[in-house]
Parts: sequence; C-alpha cells; structure tokens
Amino acid sequence: MGMSDLDQIDILSGLKPGSELYAIRRERPEFVEGTELCRETVLSPNHGFGLSHALRAALASRMARFIGREDLAAVYDLILDDAGSDPDLASIASGAEIAAAADAFTSAIIRHADLVTRTPRNSSRADIERLKKAGLTNPQIIALSELIAFVNYEARVLVGLSLLEEVE
Amino acid sequence: MSTARFKVKALSWSPYIEPVDVATASEEQLAAMQVTPSNTKVSPYVRTLAHDPESYVARTKLFNAIMYAKGGLDRAERELGALVASAVNRCVYCASVHARRYVELSGREDVVEEIYVRGLAGPFDARTQAIVDFCKALSETPSQATREQVQALRDHGMSKADIVDLIHSAAIFGWANRLMHTLGHSVPVEAK
Repeated sequence: MGMSDLDQIDILSGLKPGSELYAIRRERPEFVEGTELCRETVLSPNHGFGLSHALRAALASRMARFIGREDLAAVYDLILDDAGSDPDLASIASGAEIAAAADAFTSAIIRHADLVTRTPRNSSRADIERLKKAGLTNPQIIALSELIAFVNYEARVLVGLSLLEEVE
Repeated sequence: MSTARFKVKALSWSPYIEPVDVATASEEQLAAMQVTPSNTKVSPYVRTLAHDPESYVARTKLFNAIMYAKGGLDRAERELGALVASAVNRCVYCASVHARRYVELSGREDVVEEIYVRGLAGPFDARTQAIVDFCKALSETPSQATREQVQALRDHGMSKADIVDLIHSAAIFGWANRLMHTLGHSVPVEAK
C-alpha cells in the first residue's frame, strides 16, 4: 500500500499503511468514506449559500486550534491558502480575537463558531437570534452549524484514534 | 427503596428557526427529506436541517453507519457513548432519546439513573466506568482524554475495533449535540 491510501484522519492520527489500526479502520468503510464525504459537504459544498470555501477553511482552522489540534489547523490553513486567503481570513484562522473592524456578519459567525466549539452547553435561542440579526439566512445558519459540528467530530475521532494507536 | 423503575421521559424538539416547508421545498430538499406522495410527514428536526440538504444527506448516512452498522461494538454501548456525550453537552433531547434506547438494549436502568440523578462521576461497574470516563473526557475536552483511559477499555475486554466504534459514537454526538442543542430545544411531548 502506498502513502496515497492514507487519508487525513490516518495521517493526523499517526496511522501507518499496513498497521493494525489502519486495517481496522478499513473494516468500517462507511465511517472512512462517510467522514470524507461529510468533509466535502461542509468545507467545499456545491451550494455554499454565500459562505465561501475560504471562510469555511478559515473557521475550521480556528476551531481546530481551539480544540488543541495544531496539526489539524495546519491542514485547514493549507486548504485556506488554496482557496485564496487574505489578511482577514488569516486572522480568523489564527484564533485571534474578533477584530473591531470586522463586519457584523463575519463577527457573528466567528462568535458562534467559538461558542459552539468551546461550550455548546451554554448556547441558547439568543445565540441563533444574534445570527439572524447579523443577516444570516436560515440555510446559512444550518450550513455554519454543520461545519462547526463536523470539525468538532473530526477532532474527536483524531484524538481517539491517536490514543488507541498508542496502546497494545 | 423505591420500587418504581427509573424512567426517562420521551421529549419532542422544537427549532429556533423556521424549518423548510414541505409544500415549498426544492427538489433537492424533498429528496433529502425522503418526501414521497405517500410520505409527507417529516419531523421538525429533519425539516430544519434540510435548509442545507447536501450536508444533511451525507451526515445522516454517516450517523446511521456509526450507530447501526452490524458487528463490532454492542449497539447498547454505542448508545451509552451517545448518552455520555449528550450529558456532557447538556443536550436534553438527545440524552432522553439515547438514554431510552440504551435501556431498551441493555436493561441498565441503574446506569441511566446514576447519570441522571448524580452525574457522570459514578461509581459504575468497571466496564461501564471505563466507557463513561473515556467518552466524557473526549466530549468535554479532547486533549484531556488519556492513553490510560483507552487502556482501561482494552483491559475490560474491548477489542481495538470495538474502541473504534466507541470513538465514533461519542464523536458523532459531539456533532449531533451541536445541532440539536444549538438550533432548538426540547419540549414535552404533546398530550395525545
């Protein structure tokens, strides 16, 4: 098996082609392929509802940083560069405080990504109202929510598999 | 001692945004919701997520594989992973659904009562404790999940393939909870 058989989850979990855990993952092709398909639908969907692929990658990078996976953030930084970064997007990705100059639409999105990544338990109706007030449409609210939730899922899969690779 | 068995109430869910209206939905949304002339009843949850049909379809497929795929980790213990994540994230609706499924599959009202009444600290029997401890850490702060916690799962008879299933069930609820608990709230089931 060549390196090309490794997907993002294998690489970031430290799984080698031919390793026991690599083989175990392939016994669940629905998980492996399903995760990659989901990644496309939240990072580079056909219908983005006006949330660009670059903004999505910047947010994914930011969330990965907050979760403590710099390696995952670095992958999203590369995707951001490919999609066309700019100083504002790079600032979002870096995890910096929301700039005072940021427009209301973007700052509401960033605030929501931070909140739902860190303390989903604290979110309430008021947080969705805030998104609506900042001008997000219903499809944008759902697309944003799925993106946030995906990155949180992915990071947990990575952490779990990395730990499992270390035990006998 | 109470003689009544501990029961978790069934709940319903209500969104904070207007769900897609089946009458005005696009072809893609109708296909995502699997609306057919003989099936026009779609839950508010599905109609809410159908605003973005692409992600809805892909995630539902993955979700079903993780929770229901044949073989591997016992379905009851996948439900326990879902319940622990939902308890950490305080998704009352998800917790009620998956607590009830866990009890149906395992008969372990005692575990659910402990979680609902006293929380995730336990004590539980050793295997349950190992599952709860690992899924709690992974759900709360992934960086605090430890190799020792995974070793404890191995020590209690779980194969690596079982643990892969458990990781996915807890992780997919890190996803589901971030939809259900942020986009709406639980409501009592309407009296029939």
